[in-house]
Amino acid sequence: MLPMSNARTNEQWLDDLRAGGTAQEAAIVDVRNLLLRAVLYFFSRNLGDFGGLGREEILQRAEDCAQDALVAVMNHLSDFRGDSKFSTWAYKFAVNIALMTARRERWKDVSLDQLSYSDNDTPAEWMMWDKSPGLAPDQSAMQGEVGKIIREVIERDLTDKQRSVLMMMVFNEVPMDEVVRRLDMNRNAIYKMLHDARRKLKSGLQARGFEIGETLALFSAQG
Amino acid sequence: MEHSRFNSWLRNIYQTRDEEISCTECFDLVSHFVELEASGEETAARLPQLQQHLNQCRACHDEYETLRDLRRLDDEGGAPSLDDLQDLIR
Repeated sequence: MLPMSNARTNEQWLDDLRAGGTAQEAAIVDVRNLLLRAVLYFFSRNLGDFGGLGREEILQRAEDCAQDALVAVMNHLSDFRGDSKFSTWAYKFAVNIALMTARRERWKDVSLDQLSYSDNDTPAEWMMWDKSPGLAPDQSAMQGEVGKIIREVIERDLTDKQRSVLMMMVFNEVPMDEVVRRLDMNRNAIYKMLHDARRKLKSGLQARGFEIGETLALFSAQG
Repeated sequence: MEHSRFNSWLRNIYQTRDEEISCTECFDLVSHFVELEASGEETAARLPQLQQHLNQCRACHDEYETLRDLRRLDDEGGAPSLDDLQDLIR
């Protein structure tokens, strides 16, 4: 059993990776080893995402991820603030790339149609959710009211793009990276859209008197 | 939408704050967050906006969890070698 990171201090990592010559070469080999093991660790626990691929292909994907992560690490060395172990900071790049790769592989054969709703569907049809079983009539009516407000906000107050992203991610559970890829947007823009949608939904509910405590309790109540 | 997922979504709606950090800002801070956690520090109190983002963003949360696992393995000194990891891939 080997420790994932060797004995370099943060300062030694930075010095060696910037040194040039054999010190740098050795450090690069070591950090690449760390990154590859991080990627393989994730892949080995998510083999279901790679269903269609053989072992050699998966290992090659891992090598590619580790290489991309290495480039990212080297390009961002000056961003490292020393507020974590160097290895923890470096792993971030490997993890980010590994997760994106796995998700892309998992979703690659899904068509865009399957990911979203068509313009012909009315929101009411695809925005269905199960009511709690065994509710008293007044609770059932209130759940219906909450559902109605949410549908109204989605239909009336969101932009077309916000609505589309919300439906994909919240209703169809499409992962963010997949939405990024299909809609050719970036993660921050998607997050901002969803945040804005949440704010509108929250104020829509609050404006109609549905405050947090009782509304969540209403939906948590099980018959 | 299945009921418990709707409940979670409703909870997320209500926990929305006017200002929330971006995925880029989250990425920048998450290694520090994981390091604090590994030291037994109170993370949500120290980095509340990051905790909020992790609560609201599935993609960033999944990355955080894997990073946390890797950091723990570091402490335990028991992470698999390259050969062992490659053997796990079938």
